[in-house]
Amino acid sequence: MELEDVFSSKPRMKILKLIYTLGSLNVSDVARRVKMNYASTAGHLKVLENEGILQERKYGRIRMYRLNEGTAKAKAVATLIEVWEKTNP
Amino acid sequence: MPYQSVFKDESKLDINYIPQKLPHRDKEHRLLTEFFSFILNCPDRMSQRVIVTGEVGTGKTALTQRFGATLTSEANKRGTKFRYVHVNCREYRGSLAPILHRALAVFEPSFPARGYSADELLNFLLKALDTENTYMILSLDEFDSLVEKEGSDAVYKLTRLQEMRQGLPQRLSFIFIMRNLKAVEHLDESAKSTLQRSIINLERYGKGQLIDILNDRVAMSFELGAVSEDVIDLVADLAYSQTGNARFGIEMLWRAGKYADSKNSDTVDPECVRQAVSAIIPGLRRSELASLGLHEKLFLLAIARFFKESNEAYASLSEVENAYAVICEEYDIHPNSHTQIWSYAQYLSSLGVLKAEVVAAESRGRQTKLSLPTVPAVELEKEMTATLQSERA
Repeated sequence: MELEDVFSSKPRMKILKLIYTLGSLNVSDVARRVKMNYASTAGHLKVLENEGILQERKYGRIRMYRLNEGTAKAKAVATLIEVWEKTNP
Repeated sequence: MPYQSVFKDESKLDINYIPQKLPHRDKEHRLLTEFFSFILNCPDRMSQRVIVTGEVGTGKTALTQRFGATLTSEANKRGTKFRYVHVNCREYRGSLAPILHRALAVFEPSFPARGYSADELLNFLLKALDTENTYMILSLDEFDSLVEKEGSDAVYKLTRLQEMRQGLPQRLSFIFIMRNLKAVEHLDESAKSTLQRSIINLERYGKGQLIDILNDRVAMSFELGAVSEDVIDLVADLAYSQTGNARFGIEMLWRAGKYADSKNSDTVDPECVRQAVSAIIPGLRRSELASLGLHEKLFLLAIARFFKESNEAYASLSEVENAYAVICEEYDIHPNSHTQIWSYAQYLSSLGVLKAEVVAAESRGRQTKLSLPTVPAVELEKEMTATLQSERA
């Protein structure tokens, strides 16, 4: 996926900010916090996971998402959000 | 008038503060280090279960938390991923599932709090440890409440979990903290046998040890010269009478410091300690005082006046006897003999109103040392004066 395709989605940016702030979240929790339905949220999470920005961890029937610390993309996203939040408090 | 405080850092007296060094617990700390030395050398090859017992205020929580912090930093230095997690079971009403959820939250802080059984959460915790290649000691404080609530099954589950993970690294060790082993006695034999292997019992602190502990805390938290040796001695006496409870003594120091600050005093005097204690232990029971004989009341009034005026923590029997003679004169009553006064001191001590202790005298022989540990002298003087006046009327 092209860079502009990944980051042009407002819900995806909201999800990234949320996960960056809270560490790890399950799909329902993300959906509730960004006020979206479960299916759309799960779809956005999958996109971010496929891009190597997020990492999924399964615990039985629950799926927790976090930034994929092993990838340069995730590190770049974390830096972007950190800088953005600092300069726009 | 500028605000002044006897404290330089009162947070060092907080119940949650864990000092770098715990006086008189070196041996137990070394023992814990020995039991868990494998975490530094071969963490995946074994796990351990240790029971720490001891009365309230003997340093169980402080010892295990200090040990946990030391081991964590040592393991990190060696490149071993290790987490020490301390959970008070009573906070979770002894339920295993929320306790395990708390441990899992170290890796998954937003993991849903409801909807998962203890079995599932235990598996999730092990999975998280495997994924993170991390080892953990889970310290279960007030473990008795978990045993009470969950019984043998839960204990068995925790202690035998590695047997269900044949061929996988051992990830999870436990420290079970409780006052005594009574709770464990009710467990079934199989659960009991897996538990009672390594036990560290913390003996109650002696008075000298309490003095060392209090001296340490005073040096950290009070301004230089704000707390005299006599005051530390008095607080140590109180803590010793409360089953050697160091936590009680530390709390008393903090409280007494607060009373000193409220008077804008730059020192903590014995009266501050008495006020602090009376807020917690009701040393003054009016019904008991009313049933005392006339001379016992006069004697108590003498003690109250002595401590109110002298600012000392302790008095000799002869000092109080002089004060008693003055009170008798004031009330126009003939004073009783030394032997009778000594028996009043013993009786009032048995009631817990004052403390009478026989100690070696400075020159030779022995003398009776009196203190008023739990009742503020001002309050006692007021009470005795009122009682004696109502009797006169």
